[in-house]
Amino acid sequence: MGIIKQVSRKPSFGDHMSNESFITLLMIGVLFVLFSIAAIFVPNFYQPQNMLNLITNNWFIVIIGIGVTFLLITGNFDLSVGGVIALTGVLAVYFSQTANASQNELANGLGLPYGVAVVLALLGAMSIGALNAFFVVRLKVPSIIVTLGTMMFARGIAQVITQGAQRNTSLPSEFGLVGNLALPGTSIKLSVLIMLILLVIAFIFERRTAAGRRTYLIGANADAARLSGVKVGRHLTVLFIISALLAGITGILLASEFKAGVSSRALGYEFDALVVTLLGGVSIMGGFGSVLGMLVGALILSVVTSAATGLLLSPDWQFTLKAIAVFIAIMAQGFALSRRKS
Amino acid sequence: MNPTVLSENVNVKHVQETSLPLRQNWPTVVKRTVKEYYIYFVLAFVVVVFSVAKLDEVALFERGHFLSPDNIINLLRSAVPILTLSGAFTLLMISGYIDLSIGSAMSLSAVVFALMVLSGFGFLFALIVTLIVGIGMGILNGYLVMKLRITPVIATLVTLSLYKGIALLIVPDGLSAIKGNAEHPMPAWINNYARQDVLLGLPLAFYVAVLAIVALIMVQKKTILGKYAAAIGGNPTAAALSGINAVLIVWLLYIIVGFFAALAGVARASFMSLGDPLSGDGMELAVIIAVLLGGTAFSGGEGSVAKSVVGAMIIISVTVGMLTVIPAYWQTFAMGSVLLIAAALNHYLQEELKT
Repeated sequence: MGIIKQVSRKPSFGDHMSNESFITLLMIGVLFVLFSIAAIFVPNFYQPQNMLNLITNNWFIVIIGIGVTFLLITGNFDLSVGGVIALTGVLAVYFSQTANASQNELANGLGLPYGVAVVLALLGAMSIGALNAFFVVRLKVPSIIVTLGTMMFARGIAQVITQGAQRNTSLPSEFGLVGNLALPGTSIKLSVLIMLILLVIAFIFERRTAAGRRTYLIGANADAARLSGVKVGRHLTVLFIISALLAGITGILLASEFKAGVSSRALGYEFDALVVTLLGGVSIMGGFGSVLGMLVGALILSVVTSAATGLLLSPDWQFTLKAIAVFIAIMAQGFALSRRKS
Repeated sequence: MNPTVLSENVNVKHVQETSLPLRQNWPTVVKRTVKEYYIYFVLAFVVVVFSVAKLDEVALFERGHFLSPDNIINLLRSAVPILTLSGAFTLLMISGYIDLSIGSAMSLSAVVFALMVLSGFGFLFALIVTLIVGIGMGILNGYLVMKLRITPVIATLVTLSLYKGIALLIVPDGLSAIKGNAEHPMPAWINNYARQDVLLGLPLAFYVAVLAIVALIMVQKKTILGKYAAAIGGNPTAAALSGINAVLIVWLLYIIVGFFAALAGVARASFMSLGDPLSGDGMELAVIIAVLLGGTAFSGGEGSVAKSVVGAMIIISVTVGMLTVIPAYWQTFAMGSVLLIAAALNHYLQEELKT
């Protein structure tokens, strides 16, 4: 029956596309519709400045979303990114605070040069990624349970170092530089440029490198990947460490922007990162999804949350809105794909 | 297609095992004994450590010795929510599924219960409505996972956000929780359920939790539901081929979990005499730790309600005990570490001590 149908069906637009591109295109359409609706109901939504904000405001979610996307494609979760952001920020502050500055314990750090502090903090972030990889690859513990543990573990270290609060005194002047630097002549921050560079690298990795394609193979069928000679364990380890490194970079930038290491920074970001990947069509069943889709997902989330703020909904709405958005996205993508197959 | 996330690595595991020689240097009897009884030793160890620690030097610890009657009563009272929940959660884990929304479900139930009481309804009516809400949340979780086939972790993470969001929306703007004020106070009897001494200094909520545990142990050991749960978790294909309706069974388990999450929420609201929309945050972690300590397999098929309860007591002893010796900001670090240790221990029990 299916064969007859296929033969008799006229070739239509998009038949040559992969399912991934199809879903990405679908979500771009959704983004456009949502934006149009928001532009009608929310005053000043269509202004160029606001549109620019929609793209630039969520740079941190996009950066951590890259790592989360690749891991999700292999069928693994990374819920530790929020904790790693907090940890890296706090570590960077602690390492670069002046030693013996005052009586206050929270004002005293290690007095290292800023560059060294950043490198050490990033190493700290990567060690959390290595810990994730050890549990998932070696001990075969499901990633969801491991990264829930390291999420608390990383944030816990940040809380211990800051005694449950934050460190923001006796910092060298160059600490606040990177996060607040704007591109010459614009209001666009350096962080946004870093996001774009990382996106391009991720896109090339995903589409143009053998390692990038192996990620999909592992997600689609880990056994087949192993039998065809892919070093699954090593690949996953690298992805977990990269994901933690990306979270670490975000942590450094955020700490620099606010000139503080706050232990409660990035609470719930792990959920937001997951939300944008799911909105972008990445599937946990493995082997499906793209960085570009994740970027579209981040823009959708950005439009939804900023429209909610524009409509003066209380911030309490955000949890419900995100849940409904993800739920609709999953259903719509599943429906669209099944229609496409038939 | 892989029906559960928890078993995502199962196939990989088997491939590797066949190529590795299993360690056989421990006699089977020793292995089985260690596997069977280690958790009681862990609990005893934790209790002994906190009892021997120089508690009189710690200003925070005003109730005296860790094993003093007052402290034990306090320990058991604060353990009520996790005790209520861990049994049902174990059954769900045994079937190879997971519910990450229990913390939010508990918060939402606490808010609903407190709102009902504040609005002037009686205890029984408020309780029944809250339990119905809990059952409703379980039905939704089960529907998303079993009917729409959304991966359990993602489906319940979404409902985690949803239930938390609804709880936050119910609480009026400008308030942090549903609570009484000067002209409209919360009835004092809201405390009775979780605080009033019924027997041996323990409140009714504690005995309800014990009853729930006993009932769930019976369900696991004596009823067809327990057997089916283990069959579904052990080998979904075989279970389906032998005519077990996995959709129905697992859906039912989700509903049971929702029911007990609501019951735990009532206990929490009664204990705090307010409905805090964040009061259940992190409960899913505590319960997962308890269940892992109890030796329930990640991938399902094997586990014990009774041991999860012992695991829950370990968690509560550690949290309460820790608070007495080190500052509160160590708490997150401690919980994260305990979860990782529990996961490693669980792996060791499942893999190395295979009998």
